[in-house]
Amino acid sequence: MKRKNKVVSYQTAALMRAKQDKYFKIIALIGFLLLWELFGRVNLHTLWIEPKFLPMPSEIIMAVVTYIQAGTFWGHVGISLYRVFVGFVIGVILAIIMGGAIASFRLADNMISPILNLFGPIPIMAFLPMFVLWFGIGESSKIILVTYATIIYMVSYVSSGIKNTDPVLIRSASSLGASPLQIFFKVKFQSALPHIFEGMKGALGAAFGAMVVAEMMGASTGLGYIIVFSKNWFKMSDMFMAAIVIGLLYSVIFAILSLIESKLFRWKTSGVNSAVES
Amino acid sequence: MAVIIDHLYKAYEEKNGEMQYVLNNLSLTMEKGEFICVLGKSGCGKSTLLNCLAGYLKPDKGTITVDGTSISGPGPERGVVFQQHALFPWRTVLKNVQFGLEMKGVKTSRETAMKYIDMVGLNGYENKFPSGLSGGMAQRVGIARALANDPEVLLMDEPLGALDALTRDSMRREIERIWKLTEKTILFITHSVPEAVFLADRVIILNKGKIQMDQKINLPRSRNINDPKFTAYVQQFESAITGVSSDSVITE
Repeated sequence: MKRKNKVVSYQTAALMRAKQDKYFKIIALIGFLLLWELFGRVNLHTLWIEPKFLPMPSEIIMAVVTYIQAGTFWGHVGISLYRVFVGFVIGVILAIIMGGAIASFRLADNMISPILNLFGPIPIMAFLPMFVLWFGIGESSKIILVTYATIIYMVSYVSSGIKNTDPVLIRSASSLGASPLQIFFKVKFQSALPHIFEGMKGALGAAFGAMVVAEMMGASTGLGYIIVFSKNWFKMSDMFMAAIVIGLLYSVIFAILSLIESKLFRWKTSGVNSAVES
Repeated sequence: MAVIIDHLYKAYEEKNGEMQYVLNNLSLTMEKGEFICVLGKSGCGKSTLLNCLAGYLKPDKGTITVDGTSISGPGPERGVVFQQHALFPWRTVLKNVQFGLEMKGVKTSRETAMKYIDMVGLNGYENKFPSGLSGGMAQRVGIARALANDPEVLLMDEPLGALDALTRDSMRREIERIWKLTEKTILFITHSVPEAVFLADRVIILNKGKIQMDQKINLPRSRNINDPKFTAYVQQFESAITGVSSDSVITE
């Protein structure tokens, strides 16, 4: 019987496992793209699907190159990023203020919550025509739609996070001489932060959805616009390019949020992966 | 006199139009620097008494004065140590101990906090988060945090209740040492009769919201739990609490 006798500490084992996980994920991604390319190449001869409708990864990369050479790529990416970022940041700030008010004042809860419950279930796409009528076809209607989507998604995370603060922490803070305002910022808000981040990460998806919809319906720039424009001209690889870039942008911002989260919440005990050593 | 509790009443509910008093006309005076342990069955009102003293509960009638001022709500002159340490999980040990001073805007909070971390024997742990501490250590941080605010009175709500027997024993000695060092007035709630006899200057037994027994412990410190006088006190209190002779009661 042959087995490894080297003793490895729990910490090192976890690091090794994380490294291994990363390799597997990269291999899976590359494998998927290669399979896709291969299928496309074979498809050129067998014609299972009309090749025009299913571009290969190499063609999508060529589309990016074409856009960059034409000098319009970064402009489209930049404007989409600008819309989603500004809308999202404003939305997060407003959601924290509203959620904080709902959790702190019964009057605010009674005034705001019914309205949120009324509008919450309505898909944000349904509001776009109204927003365009109210705020024009410029940037503001798009940014406001993103902001709205962020707020609707996030408010409940903020308010329930604050409401769920352990009462014994509030007691101990007040016995250490904290004022109600200090208790709010130094205890309730701090203890709600993990929930707020969870809400932010979810709201990011909603914000991206709103941005794409807004660009698809009333814009002449941006990645959402490219999707609609290329659909009209049967430029499938452009369409795929825009969709993939949207996905990449989302992933990058999501990763940044996760990084901030892991730095911020080092104090949290580790999750399900540490339940049983394997 | 540090604390005067004057004719205190507190009821949570009524039955058939009668108020069900958890604290029923309770009066108690604590001398400065006195260590008082409160014993009693579950539901006798000892936690309610502590919560009223801390200011978390408002008494229906009666007053509590600390150092001449009557209290209304929680305040930094009454430090509280909780059974479930109640440390802020997002703050390190040092930041937890600094909390009270930070609220007051004290600039030298770091030195003061380090002094108390040192006093409870947690030097070297100041940058750890509460999730990385054992139960006994977390409780020491809780004590240091309350002491760093330099309160008039320290209210301890079964601080050793969640600890294992060995840790409990060493923590008892630790609390006695810290009390001698800081000369604080302490109100200590416990379920354990020997713990009360070991620690207290005076033992108060509550029963149905009234003081059933108020007994000074005349034993030199540090007390020996095998001393016949010590066991005599323990038996006296146990039979007072349970109402039966102590032979049939197993204590931990």
